[in-house]
Amino acid sequence: MRDDRIDARKEAARLEEPVREAGALARKLGLKPYPVNYWIVDHDEMNQLIAYGGFQTRYPHWRWGMTYDRQRKQDQFGMGKAFEIVNNDNPSHAFLQESNSLSDQKAVITHVEAHADFFANNEWFGMFADDGDALAAAAMLEQHAEAIGRYMDDPEIDRGEVEAFIDAVLCLEDTIDQHRAFVNAGSPREREEREDLRKRLEQLNISEDVRRQVFDEEWLDRLEAAEKEAAELEEPRKDVLAFLREHGMRYDDEKDRAVEMEPWQKDVLDMLREEAYYFAAQKMTKVMNEGWAAYWESMMMSEERFAGTDEFITYADHQARVLGSPGLNPYKLGKDLWEYIENTANRREVADKLLRVTGVSWRNFHEVVDFDEVQELLRADPAIDGVRSDALEELLALGEDDPRVDHEALDRALTDPDAVDVDRYPWKVLTYEGLAERHFSLVKPQNRGFLGRIRRSELEQLARYMFDDERYDTVEEAIADVNYAAGWDRMREVRESHNDVTFLDAFLTQEFVTENHYFTYEYTRASGDFRVTSSEYEDVKKKLLLRFTNFGKPTIAVYDGNYDNRGELLLGHQYNGVMLDVQQAKGVLERLYDLWGRPVNLMTIVKEYDDHDLEIARRRNREPEPIEVGKRIRYDGTSFETHELEADLEERIAASDVDYDTKPDDWLA
Amino acid sequence: MGLREDVERFREVGEERREDLKEFISYGDLGGSGPNSINIPIKIVDLPEFAYDRRDMGGVGQGQGGTPDVGQPIGQPRPQPGDGDEEGEPGEEGAEHEYYQMDPEEFAQELDEELGLELEPKGKEVIEEIEGDFTDVTRTGPNSTLDFQKLFKAGLKRKLAMDFDEDYVREALKVDGATADDVFRWAREENILVSRAWIEDAAKDVPESEKGAWESFEEMMENVERTTTIQRIRRDGLRDIPFRREDERYRHPEVIEEKQKNVVVVNIRDVSGSMREKKRELVERTFTPLDWYLTGKYDNAEFVYIAHDAEAWRVEREQFFGIRSGGGTKISSAYKLAKEILEEEYPWSEWNRYVFAAGDSENSSNDTKENVIPLMREIPANLHAYVETQPGGNAINATHAEEVESSLSDEGNVVVAYVKQPEDVVDAIYRILSTEDAS
Repeated sequence: MRDDRIDARKEAARLEEPVREAGALARKLGLKPYPVNYWIVDHDEMNQLIAYGGFQTRYPHWRWGMTYDRQRKQDQFGMGKAFEIVNNDNPSHAFLQESNSLSDQKAVITHVEAHADFFANNEWFGMFADDGDALAAAAMLEQHAEAIGRYMDDPEIDRGEVEAFIDAVLCLEDTIDQHRAFVNAGSPREREEREDLRKRLEQLNISEDVRRQVFDEEWLDRLEAAEKEAAELEEPRKDVLAFLREHGMRYDDEKDRAVEMEPWQKDVLDMLREEAYYFAAQKMTKVMNEGWAAYWESMMMSEERFAGTDEFITYADHQARVLGSPGLNPYKLGKDLWEYIENTANRREVADKLLRVTGVSWRNFHEVVDFDEVQELLRADPAIDGVRSDALEELLALGEDDPRVDHEALDRALTDPDAVDVDRYPWKVLTYEGLAERHFSLVKPQNRGFLGRIRRSELEQLARYMFDDERYDTVEEAIADVNYAAGWDRMREVRESHNDVTFLDAFLTQEFVTENHYFTYEYTRASGDFRVTSSEYEDVKKKLLLRFTNFGKPTIAVYDGNYDNRGELLLGHQYNGVMLDVQQAKGVLERLYDLWGRPVNLMTIVKEYDDHDLEIARRRNREPEPIEVGKRIRYDGTSFETHELEADLEERIAASDVDYDTKPDDWLA
Repeated sequence: MGLREDVERFREVGEERREDLKEFISYGDLGGSGPNSINIPIKIVDLPEFAYDRRDMGGVGQGQGGTPDVGQPIGQPRPQPGDGDEEGEPGEEGAEHEYYQMDPEEFAQELDEELGLELEPKGKEVIEEIEGDFTDVTRTGPNSTLDFQKLFKAGLKRKLAMDFDEDYVREALKVDGATADDVFRWAREENILVSRAWIEDAAKDVPESEKGAWESFEEMMENVERTTTIQRIRRDGLRDIPFRREDERYRHPEVIEEKQKNVVVVNIRDVSGSMREKKRELVERTFTPLDWYLTGKYDNAEFVYIAHDAEAWRVEREQFFGIRSGGGTKISSAYKLAKEILEEEYPWSEWNRYVFAAGDSENSSNDTKENVIPLMREIPANLHAYVETQPGGNAINATHAEEVESSLSDEGNVVVAYVKQPEDVVDAIYRILSTEDAS
């Protein structure tokens, strides 16, 4: 044992400098991460941390055992290795595997700093914490672990019962109102809050399509109408867990009726609901967050040469493995989208300046502008680009007021060359502005031509309200005024307000879809298998949005807590054209019964196919038209019944014009 | 600690406890291994949730080397975004893999390390002289060539050398009036390899009330049983092996003459009516890793699958584990067929042969003694193994395994293993493979 700790301590000592410098570099690059505490762990500890979702203590439950078991096997048989795990907390805690190579550790540290920045600044993460309150996730989870552990050990309470109760709640952990702040998500939506949300949505500048998907504008509207009619049902509540906490009961076998929940049950429900909200932000921003970390990791490791020259090959290999894994890879998808955002913001900035040159207009832009010349002009000042310990004089020559130079650090480097290792950490003598110029995306070889590909429509839009369109006489003057930080500034704005759904909706392009060979697939009844249906980016986007909206799950809300005046629960599946997995839903209802104590109902819409139509479809190679039927599935503690759904209820859960179907009409013909 | 208990609870979910979750368990398929990869089975319990109908949902895929044409079938949908994430982000959903793909060679290596096996495949035909395996050793080298087995053995030796019965020495500290010095001297006399410092530390921890529990060292030694290192390892397992940097050895290649290593594995399975689902699964669980292991060990592995009730017939792997028939049982029929196939297609001079049979030990009367045992003697093979699968104890007439064991256990290449539940599989595999090892 003692030997292990010595290894860990050695490793910790070796990493002290990289940790300190990575933090400093991240801040220089404009990131504002939570402080991060780094821990060195061995592979088994790492497996445990992964099983517990990045924390050291969680409540007793078999599913951690399941993850651990899998992780251990994966580790043991050499099938993929965990480099790091970081948790969303203030301060964040990151765990590094002892056996990583130094270059892996450095990559991981830069990656972690970017995650910590995302945790700290993305608004969806802010929804969990009270304003101003420090996040103390580890402490919260530990308290929950202790409390639930106590209930399990309590001789008065059957341990199996606690476990089954937890399972029942976990079946519903995604039926929360994750788009609202945790503190008030449980109460019914207030009118003024809706207004407020709408206003904020407008500021986000996202498409109507996504607003409808994410924020359920539609049922809000319908709701207003329903209220006027003095509807007998109260408004649907998306936070099913909160509703159960308020009105749920348990069935008492001896008394043969529903009685109040035990105090421990209420307590457990509260805790699990809190955890569901805590983890929701992570689930909602996976693509963005991973992409963000991958982008900054690569910026620091390769562009700023944080990987030593001797480590660079190992690092490149590491990165290729992470980004190159097949399938729809969130790291790759996210990183590519972030780069696209950076490039477009930079391009917009450059075009904006060029349009202000006398004689350049949106109509003649592509003819008059010499893009090679612009490219040359955009290139970073040699003094900034080639910072070296023996070239510091050149930086000095830029003048005392040059905003790109960190003059304080430069003075130190000049007076005492040992104090600032400029060859190793050239960024130390530069500022954010200096670094932005040094890494301006449009001059990178892979982005050559990007500027020239700007569409005329975008130029026209830029030029439309431009009054000051003859500010510069020459292209040189215009380019000299370019704000090199435009791309990074924009990226930070986006990382503050977006989640995966809005992010994909706003930035996924045809170019991206084509380059990466993305396609959609659907199940076809005619042939009885899955087939490629489209490679159009609108279709790919549609399917991606379906996958990321509401955690990729159907939206379920409480429509009535006293259905049929018999105290039954009525849930509604807000149908968007895609059916529920009915078998699984029944499994949930069985467990939901234990949380409600009385019969439970689920309204949904299923697609049915006429046998005759199917036969014809098979023969003619054409997809049959489904018939959509409203159903109410009722479970009373022993058996299921399925009823036709009343027309007025069906109208309330059916969407009118949402379409996730990407099948072309005549695609098999 | 908490997690160990969680693992324990997870093992029991849907099996010993929580029957309600049974329907949500899926096991990774043990079969279905392609030519170059195998699957590690794992159990997954997916709690039900409100989810989209998979068929109705469709999805997004990524073409490899081009976008596929519209209308092209794609087979089962690939795993979706968020799966296969190296970091295991907090809140990550259970991925949809049910098993991991891996290489048989790696598997064989893992198993060797795990079980401490040293099965050396026998070369049967000299092919050519080439740069050989990584069998020479040096003190430094790339990590991938670290000879873990050597390291492990050296560590084990260290452990054996340093290990002593702590409880025993602690008892000695309870001898009336004995000081740390006395105990140290006594220990040296008894040849117990304990340090003075350890005794002094331990002495502090002996509660006052227990001091003087023994009149003298002699009395204590008479009454307290001393455990050997082997017993302790059996009891506690091999937990803390002292690995030392100086024990590390790295393999590097030497020039050797390369022999083609051919192996044929004959898998025989009783498919008669008495072989119920549970037994069938146990056979699959035992045979599949054995097959992987041998595939990984040899250059060229071929498999023969024989199913039998009262008659035997040759089948493909895909059918092998699925077949069920109603008839009686005559194990010798399978060995007869095996003998024919081996003689015709796999001459002993060129092939390593493994004959694995499995069943519930039920056989028609006298068939074992009169037919099976002579046949097993007649078929030359590196190893004959019989795996008895009997969940829930022995039936009265199930004596095949016993008979084979009692008549052939001296042969050196015959082994019988018993598998009553999934937990026994590893022991059985070890038993089978270590028998070959000794021969």
